[in-house]
Amino acid sequence: MVNLFHLKKTTPRLERLHTLSLFVNLTPAELRIVDGLLHERDYLQGEVIFDEGEEGQAIYIVASGEVLICRQEHAEATNSTSATPSPLHPRRRQGDSGRVAQLGPGTFFGELALLDNSPRSAQARAAKPCKLIVFFRDDFVSLLDTHARIASKISRELARHLGARMRTMAQAMGTSQDVV
Amino acid sequence: MNGSHPPAHAHHASGPVVWVAIIGVTCLLLLVFQKVLWLVVPFLLALILYYFLYPPVRVLIYRGMSRDAAASVVTLAFLVLLSLAVVSLMPRLTSQVRHWQDTVDRYVQGGTQLLDGSLRSLERHWPTLERAKLADTVAARLTQGAGNISDHIEPVALGIMAWTPSLLLAPFLAFFFLRDGRRFKRFLSAAVPNAFFERTLYLLHEIDRTARAYFQGLINLTILDTLTLAAGLWLLGIPGPLTLGVICAVLAWVPYVGSILGGLLVVLVAATDFPGDPSMAYWAIGLFGLVRLLDDFLYMPMTIGKSLELHPLVTVLMIFVGGAVAGVSGLMLVLPVLGVVMVVGETIGMIVTDPRLIARHRHARKLRREQVSSDL
Repeated sequence: MVNLFHLKKTTPRLERLHTLSLFVNLTPAELRIVDGLLHERDYLQGEVIFDEGEEGQAIYIVASGEVLICRQEHAEATNSTSATPSPLHPRRRQGDSGRVAQLGPGTFFGELALLDNSPRSAQARAAKPCKLIVFFRDDFVSLLDTHARIASKISRELARHLGARMRTMAQAMGTSQDVV
Repeated sequence: MNGSHPPAHAHHASGPVVWVAIIGVTCLLLLVFQKVLWLVVPFLLALILYYFLYPPVRVLIYRGMSRDAAASVVTLAFLVLLSLAVVSLMPRLTSQVRHWQDTVDRYVQGGTQLLDGSLRSLERHWPTLERAKLADTVAARLTQGAGNISDHIEPVALGIMAWTPSLLLAPFLAFFFLRDGRRFKRFLSAAVPNAFFERTLYLLHEIDRTARAYFQGLINLTILDTLTLAAGLWLLGIPGPLTLGVICAVLAWVPYVGSILGGLLVVLVAATDFPGDPSMAYWAIGLFGLVRLLDDFLYMPMTIGKSLELHPLVTVLMIFVGGAVAGVSGLMLVLPVLGVVMVVGETIGMIVTDPRLIARHRHARKLRREQVSSDL
């Protein structure tokens, strides 16, 4: 049984995962378990990652490159000359006109998909060639059942992130006193 | 088990074309599986073993062990326990082998006597049956059909010998499922284009969920059946209640046919061990009927039925179709195969009929083409 339990051992990949805000509180052993659940995808500049209104199944973490988050009504409000969507092409290419945010390495998006299967609130598109780490909702749900401690640490980071976003939005709307 | 809400697209009812395709593919797979039964049976046993051994593997991984080491340790521990059980039971089994032929003969005779007694009792009450000499006719046909019991034991023994190497594959396969299952899932999803990635992940998860729920449901159902039958047989005073309970519960894996065989076995034992008391056999039949009712209306919906989420009418019809297409193997395989084909069929149907996903895939391919030919 010598060296079968190697709780302290870590690898460059695990160290990289540890720098991501979602996994910052996980121990190497916990990271190893989470690592077994993650997928990596490569996207080219301009490639759609997911569409607005699409059912969300996973959260995406930017490992490298940049991702543009755009919203349809934003685009419509700022660019009234755009073409009318057809039934086959309900969402036209948006470019920067409906831009909500541009995300860099270490950040994550599509996090609400971890909580429920509500439609995506915006479109995500690769602003530069990027590598994304994907964490599937059902893997997270099974993690809640099997490794509640790990799932609670991830949930806490997620809650912090959502809280920070709510504050930012409230401040932007001038109602920060309502969010405590 | 997954506690999340099913995705919105799971609520869309599949059209008749998709359902015809699902039933067609299920029948085709059953036909193919029947031809390679030597591989399908160990594969199924390996899946059951995989879902049985997966929880301890998960515990070891959480304790800090690597997946490879955890899979090796758990499989090795299982094999050691199995070997110990075989070694400890072997002397007892070999000492009883000589008596098996006599035992089987004795139980068959007991059953025949019970049938004969019951038919003669019926003849006494129904003169029409007496005139038709029902008891004599049935006895003659049974003697003619059954022949000598040793004629049947030999092919069974040869069959067991032929199947043993194939069955030894099961723990070997289970080890690789435990060790490389997740890698295989990642390997499969890595081959999927970005546009279809999320849907495919969902599909793979649903297949895993369906198979896991089915096989874990089957294990739970077997335990419930064994305990209920063993308790009932013990209350009736029939010898070897636990062994009989286990055999009947495992036989019940084959829908209908297995249950009839199990019931017959219990009646044979009751009729033989209590030759002067036919009421014991009737009590055994009553108990078996009660367990079947509990099984169909309580245990099955609690375990397997819930896992597959199939309409009861579809379940029964498909069992008949499976039996007609591929015999006993079809009866056994039809529900898990249908469950998996249903998930795959419905999801593929949704992917190929989504114009937006197809358009995104084409766009991604165009981008890739532009990238690789930019300097030409």
